[in-house]
Amino acid sequence: MSAKSDTPPASDEFDLEAEFRRSNVQEVLDKLDRELIGLQSVKQRIREIAALLLVDRARRQLGLETGAPTLHMSFTGNPGTGKTTVAMRMADILKNLGYVRQGHLVSVTRDDLVGQYIGHTAPKTREVIKKALGGVLFIDEAYYLYKPENERDYGQEAIEILLQVMENQRDDLVVILAGYADRMETFFRSNPGFRSRIAHHLDFPDYSQGELFQIAELMVAHQQYKLSPGAITALKEYIPLRMKQEHFANARSMRNAIDRAKLRQANRLFEKRATKLTRTDLMTIEAEDIRQSRIFAEPDKKRG
Amino acid sequence: MHENPRNMTQGQFSFLPPLTDDQIKKQITYAISKGWAVSVEYTDDPHPRNSYWEMWCQPMFDTKDAAAVFMEVQECRKVYGNLYIKVNAFDNTRWRESLAMSFIVNRPKVEPGFGLARTEAEGRTIRYRISSYATDKPTGKRY
Amino acid sequence: MSKATGSKELTGATRYKSGVLEYKQMGYWQPDYVPKDTDVICLFRITPQPGVDADEAAAAVAGESSTATWTVVWTDRLTAADNYRAKAYRVDPVPNAPDQFFAYIAYDLDLFEGGSIPNLTASIIGNVFGFKAVKALRLEDMRIPVAYLKTFDGPPTGVIVERERLDKYGRPLLGATTKPKLGLSGRNYGRVVYEALKGGLDFTKDDENINSQPFMHWRDRFLYCMEGVNRAAAASGEVKGHYLNVTAATMEEMYERAEFAKNLGSVIIMIDLVIGYTAITSMSKWARKNDMILHLHRAGNSTYARQKNHGINFRVICKWMRMAGVDHIHAGTVVGKLEGDPLTVKGFYDTLLEPHTPKKLEHGLFFDQDWASLKKCMPVASGGIHAGQMHQLIHHLGEDVVLQFGGGTIGHPDGIQAGAEANRVALEAMIMARNEGEDYLAKGPEILAKAAKSCKPLQHALDTWKNITFNYASTDTVDFVPQATPAR
Repeated sequence: MSAKSDTPPASDEFDLEAEFRRSNVQEVLDKLDRELIGLQSVKQRIREIAALLLVDRARRQLGLETGAPTLHMSFTGNPGTGKTTVAMRMADILKNLGYVRQGHLVSVTRDDLVGQYIGHTAPKTREVIKKALGGVLFIDEAYYLYKPENERDYGQEAIEILLQVMENQRDDLVVILAGYADRMETFFRSNPGFRSRIAHHLDFPDYSQGELFQIAELMVAHQQYKLSPGAITALKEYIPLRMKQEHFANARSMRNAIDRAKLRQANRLFEKRATKLTRTDLMTIEAEDIRQSRIFAEPDKKRG
Repeated sequence: MHENPRNMTQGQFSFLPPLTDDQIKKQITYAISKGWAVSVEYTDDPHPRNSYWEMWCQPMFDTKDAAAVFMEVQECRKVYGNLYIKVNAFDNTRWRESLAMSFIVNRPKVEPGFGLARTEAEGRTIRYRISSYATDKPTGKRY
Repeated sequence: MSKATGSKELTGATRYKSGVLEYKQMGYWQPDYVPKDTDVICLFRITPQPGVDADEAAAAVAGESSTATWTVVWTDRLTAADNYRAKAYRVDPVPNAPDQFFAYIAYDLDLFEGGSIPNLTASIIGNVFGFKAVKALRLEDMRIPVAYLKTFDGPPTGVIVERERLDKYGRPLLGATTKPKLGLSGRNYGRVVYEALKGGLDFTKDDENINSQPFMHWRDRFLYCMEGVNRAAAASGEVKGHYLNVTAATMEEMYERAEFAKNLGSVIIMIDLVIGYTAITSMSKWARKNDMILHLHRAGNSTYARQKNHGINFRVICKWMRMAGVDHIHAGTVVGKLEGDPLTVKGFYDTLLEPHTPKKLEHGLFFDQDWASLKKCMPVASGGIHAGQMHQLIHHLGEDVVLQFGGGTIGHPDGIQAGAEANRVALEAMIMARNEGEDYLAKGPEILAKAAKSCKPLQHALDTWKNITFNYASTDTVDFVPQATPAR
C-alpha cells in the first residue's frame, strides 16, 4: 500500500480539501493539540509535513514527477518535552496518508537492538525491525548506539543494519531517532549516513514556567483532582525551583510532582480518618501537599 | 505431448507463473490478516513425503506486517538461493492446529525431478520407490 | 401447536387394560416433556392420513419407532416403560404446507446400542416409515447427544490429517472420476488415471458401479491404477491418489480388496453407501487400523433423500456417516448437474465439517449439535462441474472440499492432461485472487480469462463449456427463509 500509482492521470484536477478531509489528518492534529500544551513550533512542523505528504500524494495521482519521499526523522529535545507522544501522532498521520501500512509505533533503546556477544546483535536488531515494519520505529537516545571509545562495540552492527533498512525499505518503515540535541549533533557528525537519510529534524523546546503549570493543571484535572487556591500558589513557586534542579524532565517532572502530591494528600486524609470525608476532601490537593516537597526544604541541594 | 509447466508442483500456486515479490507479500498479508503464524522453510530434498523441511527461522507468531516475513524470505534466498524455499501459514485455532497455507517462493535453477524405481513382488504386485534425482548426491552437493 | 384436545394420557391400570388405545393415551405424546441432554432427538416431517390429528400422528411415530405395538401388552409392566417410551413433545406447522407438520420426538439414550448406526436406524427408520396412519414421513434432522457420539470413532483420518498426509493446504483438492464408467480394460483405465493426475489433479476415482465385471477384474484395475498414481507422483513430486473402490458382495471380499490396495501403497480406498451401515462401519475400523483415507460414494441415497415429503433428509445421512466414520462423502455441488439447493448444501457441508453446528433453520439445521471431537469429514462436489465455475464453487463450497471434474477433465478438447491442468490453474488463480482481497465472485470470469492467457488448456476449457449450466429448481429445499423464526 505504498503511495505509488502506475495509473495515468485521470484528470487534471485534484480536490486537496476533499482528500484532506478523507485522510482524517485534522482529527490527529486536534488530538495532538488536546494532548500537548504549547509546542507551537513542533506542531507547525507537523502540519507542514502533513501538507507536504498530501501534496506529494496529489502529484502522484496526477502523474507528476515525485521522488520516493524520505520520511525518517530526528526529534531532538530534553526529556519530557513530548517526543514520544508526537511520534505516536506522526505514525497516525503517516498511516492516514498511506505512507505506512499499519501505523504502529515500536519504541526502543540501545539495549533492545545491541547484544552482548558476537553474533547476538544482528538477530536482535532484525527482530526489532520485523516488529516495526509497516509502522514507525522510535529509537530513544539513539546516540548510545555509537560508542567510539569502544572499538569492539556491537552498536556499529546495529547501525549498519538500520541504515540498510532505512535506505532499501523506505516503503516499509519510518525511523525516528530521538535524544538530546547536542548529543544527537555529535552522533550525526560521526555517522553521516544517518544524517543524510533523515528528512525532517524537529526540535522540541523546553516548556516555559507557564506551560509547565498548565500541563500540571491538565494532569490534575484528568485524574479528577483539583488544586486549592493555596496549592496553586505553592505549585507556581515549586516549578521554578524544580527547573533549577538536576534531572529536570519537563512534563515528566510535573507528572512526578503530582503523583507525590497525591501520595501526601492520601496520607493527610488517612491521619484524620476519624472525621467524615466529603467528596471535595477526596478531590482537593492542598498547599501543604505540595509544600512538603524537599525542594522547599533544601532548595539549593541538587536533588531529584 | 502435453507437458506440465514444472516437474515439482507442491504448494498452492505451483501451476501459476512464479510469484512476484509483490504477489508473495499479498499472500503473506492475507495470512497475517487471518491471525496465522507465517514461517519460511527450505530443503534440498523435495520428496513429496519429506514433512520436515529445514526451518529458516521460528514461525512468526506476532508479526504485524508482511514486510517482516518477506525480509526473512529475502534473507533465506540470499543463503539458499538455489534450493526450494516455501512459505507456510499455521492456524493454531482449535479444530485446525495445522497448516492453512503453503506455497513455493524459490526453486533451484535446475530441477532434475524425481525418479521412479519398480521392484517386482509376488504375483504382479509392484513396489514403487520415488526419489529426487538430486538426493542421489550428499547434502550440500545436490543443487 | 397441538390442535387436538381429545384423549389424554391414561395412567395406572386403565393404561394397561387389554385392547387398543390411541398412541396419545399410551403416553407417546408428552407436550410438557423437556428433553434431556442425553436424549436423541428426531425431527420428522409428518403428512398424516386425513382425519388423524397432528399430535396423535406424532405420538404414533414416537410409539412405532420405540416401544409400541398396535395393541396394549401387559409385559410393558415388567419394564420401566415410561423411560423407554419415545416422547413426541412438540409439533410445528410447516411453512407453506398445510397438510404437513414437524414433530419433535425424544428418545432415551438407553434405547440404543453404543457405536451402532444399524441399531440407531433400526429404531428410528425401522418400521415406522410404512406405518399406515401417516401418508408420508420424512426424517429431517437429528440431535445426537454428546454421550452417544462418544461411542463412535468417527472418520478414520479427517480433513486435517488428510491434508497433512497429502501435503496439500489452503485450496480445495481436485479429483476426477474415470470415464467411461464401464467397459474400459484395466490397462486403458490406468491410462486415464495417469493422464489426469500428471496433468495436475490430486485424486482420480472409480465410479460407484465399477467393481469386478467381465471387462475388468478388480486386481487388474488396482495394479494399473497404482502404476498411474506412482508415475504421476514421480512426475510432479506430489502425493497422488486414486479412490480404489473395494465395494463387493461380502465383507470378506471387501477386506481382501482393501488389503491389496494397502499392499500396493494406495493412500485411499472407496466404498459405496449401498453396502450398508454395518459394512461401512467395518471398513471405517479397517481404514483406521491401516492408515487409509476412506471415501464414500453416496450411491442410492436419492431413492430416499430427494423427495421432500418422504424418506430421510441427506443431512441425517451426513450425520450418520460422520459417526460411522468416513473421510469423504459426496455432498452436492450447488452449480452442477445433481440436486442441490445452495442453503441446503451449506447445511450438509457444515454438518460434515464443523465442530459445532448451531441451529440454523434457513440451512435446514433444526438443532444445536456439538460434534464431540469427531473428526471432520471432507465433502466431495461431483457431477457436471467445470473450470469456468471455479469462482462460484469456491464461493459456495469453501476450501475444505474435493472438487471432482470428471467430464470437465476427460472431455477436454486437448486431452486429459490438458483438462486437468486447466482445472488446477483455474483453481490456483482463483484462490490467489481471493487471498489478495479481490471480489473473486464478481470478477470470476475476468480472473479466469487472465489466468488463461498463460495457460492454453484453460482457454480451451473456458471456450468449450462457457455456456454450460444446470439451472433446474431443486426439489429438496429448506422450508424456512432466512431470518424466519420458528412458530412454537
